[in-house]
Amino acid sequence: MRIELQNFTKRFGDTTVIEDMSLSVASGEMIALLGPSGCGKSTTLFAISGIHRIDGGTLHFGDRDVTRLPPQDRPVGVVFQNYALYPHMSVAENIGFPLRVQKLKPAEIKSRVGEMAELVQIGNLLKRKPQQLSGGQQQRVALARALVRKPDVLLLDEPLANLDAKLRLEMRSEIRRLQRETGITAILVTHDQIEAMSMCDRIALMKDGRIEQISTPAEMYERPASRYVAGFLGNPPISFVNADANGRLAFGDNALPLPSGIAAQGPVVIGLRPEHFGPQHQGPCVSGQVSFIEPQGREDLIDVTLPDGQRLRAIVPAGHDVALGQTVNWQVDLSRIHLFDAEGARL
Amino acid sequence: MNRQTLLGLGFLSPALLAVVMFFLLPVVLTVVFAFTNMSTSTGILGGEYQISESDLRRLPAAGVREEAVEMLAGADYAVRADTLALFAAEFGDKRAQELEALHGGASFDDRRAMERALKDLRRDPIRSVRERKAAAELFRISILGQRFPTEAAFVEAITALGIPEADQAALTEAAYTGWTFTTQNFELLWELPATWRYALNSALYVVLTLAFNVGFGLFLALSTFYLPTRTAQTFRAIWFLPRILPPVLYVLMWQWLTWDQGFISAILRPFGIEPINWMRHTATHAWTFIVLINGCVGASLGMILFSSSLRAIPETQLFAAQVDGANRWQQVRFVLLPQMRWPILFITSYQTLSLLTSFEYILLATDGGPGRQTEVWALAAYHTALSNYGGNLEYGLGAAYALALVIIGILLSALYLRFFNFRDLVAKPRIEQ
Amino acid sequence: MTTSLKGNWLLILALSLISAPLVIMYGFQLIDSVSRPAPGGIIPQEWELTNWRFLWERIDSARPSIWRVTLNTFVFASATALLVCAFSITAAYALSRLNFPARRFFLAGLIMLHAFPTITLIIAIFIVLQFLGLYDSLIGVILVKAALELPFGIWIMKGFYDSVPWEIEMAGVQDGASRFRVWRELILPQVKPGLSALLIFSFLAGWSEFILPLVLAPGADAQVLATYMNAVIADDTRPDYGLFKAIGMFYALPVIAVYLLFQKRLMNIYGGGTKG
Repeated sequence: MRIELQNFTKRFGDTTVIEDMSLSVASGEMIALLGPSGCGKSTTLFAISGIHRIDGGTLHFGDRDVTRLPPQDRPVGVVFQNYALYPHMSVAENIGFPLRVQKLKPAEIKSRVGEMAELVQIGNLLKRKPQQLSGGQQQRVALARALVRKPDVLLLDEPLANLDAKLRLEMRSEIRRLQRETGITAILVTHDQIEAMSMCDRIALMKDGRIEQISTPAEMYERPASRYVAGFLGNPPISFVNADANGRLAFGDNALPLPSGIAAQGPVVIGLRPEHFGPQHQGPCVSGQVSFIEPQGREDLIDVTLPDGQRLRAIVPAGHDVALGQTVNWQVDLSRIHLFDAEGARL
Repeated sequence: MNRQTLLGLGFLSPALLAVVMFFLLPVVLTVVFAFTNMSTSTGILGGEYQISESDLRRLPAAGVREEAVEMLAGADYAVRADTLALFAAEFGDKRAQELEALHGGASFDDRRAMERALKDLRRDPIRSVRERKAAAELFRISILGQRFPTEAAFVEAITALGIPEADQAALTEAAYTGWTFTTQNFELLWELPATWRYALNSALYVVLTLAFNVGFGLFLALSTFYLPTRTAQTFRAIWFLPRILPPVLYVLMWQWLTWDQGFISAILRPFGIEPINWMRHTATHAWTFIVLINGCVGASLGMILFSSSLRAIPETQLFAAQVDGANRWQQVRFVLLPQMRWPILFITSYQTLSLLTSFEYILLATDGGPGRQTEVWALAAYHTALSNYGGNLEYGLGAAYALALVIIGILLSALYLRFFNFRDLVAKPRIEQ
Repeated sequence: MTTSLKGNWLLILALSLISAPLVIMYGFQLIDSVSRPAPGGIIPQEWELTNWRFLWERIDSARPSIWRVTLNTFVFASATALLVCAFSITAAYALSRLNFPARRFFLAGLIMLHAFPTITLIIAIFIVLQFLGLYDSLIGVILVKAALELPFGIWIMKGFYDSVPWEIEMAGVQDGASRFRVWRELILPQVKPGLSALLIFSFLAGWSEFILPLVLAPGADAQVLATYMNAVIADDTRPDYGLFKAIGMFYALPVIAVYLLFQKRLMNIYGGGTKG
């Protein structure tokens, strides 16, 4: 089911948190709303679910206008960060609750709960109470409860935030598997770029109530639309260097040639990812002094302080012989640098 | 109106009804009653119109001229159907019929004339002078002591008596037995020396008890904080009981402790100290025990609250203080107490209000005695309006007493709003539709 | 550690000394109810149950039977508790979770009522009950007591509702349930412990109440244990503390039993009830 959010505006009292935002999600697609806390991603999710009123704009599921529909009447399943399982009900009762509300016959509820439990692989836990389950199991119950109504849309609000690192990895692929198997249109709200990139078809990166960029994870990583997007994605993060564009990019004693097809004049910001700087690359050189080395096992993170005080970070395969304080002259993969104007927009 | 609004108002309405009936209405009525002279004798509903013999003396002061008063006092004797009926009931129908035949419709200015008329009875004369006097009285017509349900009936009656119109308004007002609006309650409160006495008593009571409550509650909380759990629990239980024991029983225990054959007297007798009632002997005795009785109840509330806020202070702070070489007193003084500022302030303001207005324990312990030495304002309101040995309960005056407390209550509880992070409290519900 | 142990002993000694009057009173409350002290003394002379005679005979022909009075007290306390709970669970939920006009106003009103000294209104309430014709009846005092306890009850219940995660409510709504159903089936079960604590608390408050029955229902028909006991004490020209204490014992037994059973919960509500 296609989701079409148009010119969405949301106010809390006198403060407008989201203004004139549009988002469309294709049927069967899984999209991530990514951004720091307070950027409006959860607000957007709750507006789509119906828990928040939509103050301006429209929301369509397919061709149906659901803008004014109360949450009870929207074909939406939601998985909450803390799972929100009903503590006094067993797993089976939890999953069956949405069906009981629809006044289905007990026999049918039982069979559908069974089906759902098999799908999320908790068939053996149906009699337990939520507090007797592990975090991952609770997550599965929450998923089953959200899906048992066969909703058109699945909304996931930070579903992995409460899990430990290992379970998070497992549930990441599990959620994606379920979404693919059911073919449901899904929206994932997260502040974790890895979650967004690994689970979703597309990412909408949000900042201050606006969508900064919406594209596939690869595209967003390769061609960030702004300095903000470039800085948000990537771990270890991208390095920024202020430079002066005047036929070439000059910063301190260093200079890089202007990449082909870009005409820039005056102050610009160069974005250079650590994996595109180092002795192992081909291209023009930048020199500076090694100021920090952080061994990571397979590779090391090395900070290089440039003569003008700015800093670049490099990822260098382990086994190098770079020492702290040493002056290095390393290559930059020129085709992979990003240039932004003073306002942060991509050049 | 959406479904949520309907559900919300629906869920609220029973409570709202109760609040309107037993909070808002009484607050308004306290104000209204404070401006009336309502009492047992006026009743709480509308009154009637009546002038009694004893009222006559105060009539001139109420603006009724002497001649009108004389008219009311000077009685007429008339032989009419109604008076004859009374006469017939006591002296027989035959005599009544004869008298009617002789003097029917006649009226006489005084009793002697009436008695003379009675002497005219021939068939069955009334021989005894005393009886004749009694019989004459039956023909007396006067509105004194007679009840008139409406103003119109009363005016008609006094007009029939010939009271000049100029006096009728004042007389009608004076004759009204129901309550009327007046500001005399406040004038009375202002003038009576007792009022100031009660106010002073209240202040004394609040200050002393509050100091005891907070100080002692704090001491209990801090001392049990350092004790092993079981010991601490025992002491807390001892001090918690006064709070949940029924007040009647709790005060009874103190009565037993202090009466002249009670525990204190019995213990002190071997030392040659005369047994006295330790609670009521003098005003000082009474005040001491009133503070103790209330204090032990109040201290337990302080103890509970302070204990729970002490438990909320991270233990590591105390460890750190110990490592820094602070002894217990220094720990209390520099680590614990500064963090108790809010609970202390809270208890102080909360109990100021409740102590100022409560009188239950004083009522049970000394009932304001000896004399009226421990009568606090709230107890005075109760005594005036609800429990007066004189029998006349002065609701209006009592309400005037209570009004002062109601106003203080409203002001202080509005102030109390400030204790809460109101913005958090009214945070919008997160489900909007 | 030795200094701290010594310090503890000093503390315990000090606490014991100041707690002594209370402990003596509790102790003799128990002893005197089943014994007779020597005249003018305090040492029990004989163990006997005559102080409890009020249970099987009328101590005074004008007085109602103790069982009638106990029944009254029980009806008064439990009806009050039920009313307070019934009104609180709905009103508190509305104030905690539902959107409706003037909610701010109601919340501010609740806080003010919570602090407001209700006893100051008793004169006006006395007259209101006279108007309503409920003066000197058990129903009248029950209504008044329940109404006066209500702000406290709502405040307590609101605290319990506030601590239920919003997400449970949201999940319920998203699962298609109406707000009423969410409240009934999903939220109410979460606040059950709070509700039972409030029930116990209001029962005890009703059981111990003295002033309201004294003022609003002084007649023999509506007498409760508090006013009964007070009348027995007040009418006696020669205090018979054995009898008074036995009646007191009988009166306080349920309170002490409830206290022993639900100590923890009660402490919480006594502490939390007045806390912000």
